[in-house]
Amino acid sequence: MSATWHLDTSVLESYAAGRSTPVGGASVEAHLMECRECGAVLRELMPHEPLDQAWRAIRAHVEAPRAGLVERVLASLGLSSESARLLAAVPAFRGAWLLGVFTVLVFAGVAAALADDTGLTLFLVVAPLIPVAGVAASFGGDADPAHELVTVTPYSSLRLLLLRTGGVLASSVPVTVLLGLVLPGPAWLGLAWLTPAVAGIALTLAVSPRFDTTMTAAVFGVGWSFAVLSAYHLGDPMAVVEPLMQLVLAAVALLALAVVVLRSPSLDLLGRNP
Amino acid sequence: MNTVTLTEVGKSFGRTDALADVSLALAPGITGLLGPNGAGKTTMLRILATALAADRGTVRVLGADPSTSSGRTEVRRHLGYVPQETGFPRGFTTFSFIDYMAILKMWSDPTQRHAEVRRVVDLIGLSDVAPKRLAALSGGQRRRVVLAQAMLGEPDLLVLDEPTTGLDPAQRGRLRDVLGRAGESATILISTHQTADVAALCERVVVLDGGRILFDGTVVDLVRQAEGRVWLAQERHPAARHAWRTGTGRVRNVGDPPPGVELIEPDLEDAYLLLVGEAGTDSELEAVS
Repeated sequence: MSATWHLDTSVLESYAAGRSTPVGGASVEAHLMECRECGAVLRELMPHEPLDQAWRAIRAHVEAPRAGLVERVLASLGLSSESARLLAAVPAFRGAWLLGVFTVLVFAGVAAALADDTGLTLFLVVAPLIPVAGVAASFGGDADPAHELVTVTPYSSLRLLLLRTGGVLASSVPVTVLLGLVLPGPAWLGLAWLTPAVAGIALTLAVSPRFDTTMTAAVFGVGWSFAVLSAYHLGDPMAVVEPLMQLVLAAVALLALAVVVLRSPSLDLLGRNP
Repeated sequence: MNTVTLTEVGKSFGRTDALADVSLALAPGITGLLGPNGAGKTTMLRILATALAADRGTVRVLGADPSTSSGRTEVRRHLGYVPQETGFPRGFTTFSFIDYMAILKMWSDPTQRHAEVRRVVDLIGLSDVAPKRLAALSGGQRRRVVLAQAMLGEPDLLVLDEPTTGLDPAQRGRLRDVLGRAGESATILISTHQTADVAALCERVVVLDGGRILFDGTVVDLVRQAEGRVWLAQERHPAARHAWRTGTGRVRNVGDPPPGVELIEPDLEDAYLLLVGEAGTDSELEAVS
């Protein structure tokens, strides 16, 4: 539909720039309802930038990545949103893993609290292996389905490895420490399992990616379980966490960590053959 | 000016030479990489993408030496890579996965990063599925998500290992359009089994077999090698190396023709089949379109 008269260009320019008075603007709009020609002129005069900005803002709102529960919790602990997103990709932050950790620990803790040496032995077997299993599950080609893509990004592989390891530890260590502290026996027992855990994690990282991390962690788990059970059968389950053993395990951990650092320049290559 | 040079580059896995002292130089533009399965294409692309280190020879990518850690990091700042296969972390949406990759590509400013993610999402035609979880996407859509992350930051080098697998004809057409424009300034190497993609996109083609380069030249030159060696007949001819019944009901024979047959213009697929067949490979030839 077209009107028999048309708005002056200066009036349309004022309207497009948002300078019209309320009454003047309403008159322009009433005319535009009837006049296609003036509508066409106005379209040319309208600045595109505010519309583009509005559209970008709408898209930013609709498409912005929604932080999941894990990311929100990590961010509330002070982690940057970027680090939280990088950690959200780690298998150890999946609900099933966290539930599994909690169940096993509660089981081991209750057993340890109810039965003297047998329960204590069970706790000593389980506690160090949980973070080791978490690290094993979080690294290597099988653990990260986008491993090849992630490998060829400029993000430091050592930094990513440390971030993920820290994340895995944060997901299991506090609960284990708390359980250890409520166990019967000396107070230091609640922390004594940390040294074998660190040794197991360091060994797992040191041999990754040349060997499968799951296999390495499994071998460590069998070895550790054998040591704890042997001590139990010899009548002293605490033998595996006594000072001399702690020193040996600490030395193993340091050696393995040195290997990790020395090998860090080649961490950013695919480890196993295609 | 060459942006990528491989000089007598070799890579072995156990006793198998995946790449046998290959030399190749690439300049900006699109190069197609053809070859049967096990020819060494993926190994070559992984070396160029700095995912694997060469055992022998010299590699220079965008002026950097990827045999050192700092050289690899330098290359990776300007690299877009589509591996042959990849999975995705669980629970991610299209947008959040590309955002995750952008974080790993050192886009630290969230506003700029999100704008760049939206740009590549639009570029590859994924706007409709941006908020959807990756697990809910089709195979072709997931393949395009991998392509979208490769386009982050308009990289100077794009290494694409079978990027068109799983895409329908319309999606392939769109991808050709995107890559055609990117190839005006970037160096792009595409490995594919689709000779139609190479014919449509690439001026240059490299054919790899048994870890060696069988052919390196223009598509036109490769097609020319099959001139006078393709003919139509009612039946498969015993002299044909390859023959198949076409939609018209007649048989397309490729090989050394007997006298008096109806020769036709060859295409890239004919030339590729002849080249690889004559190299004596016993690798399974892919069903090329």
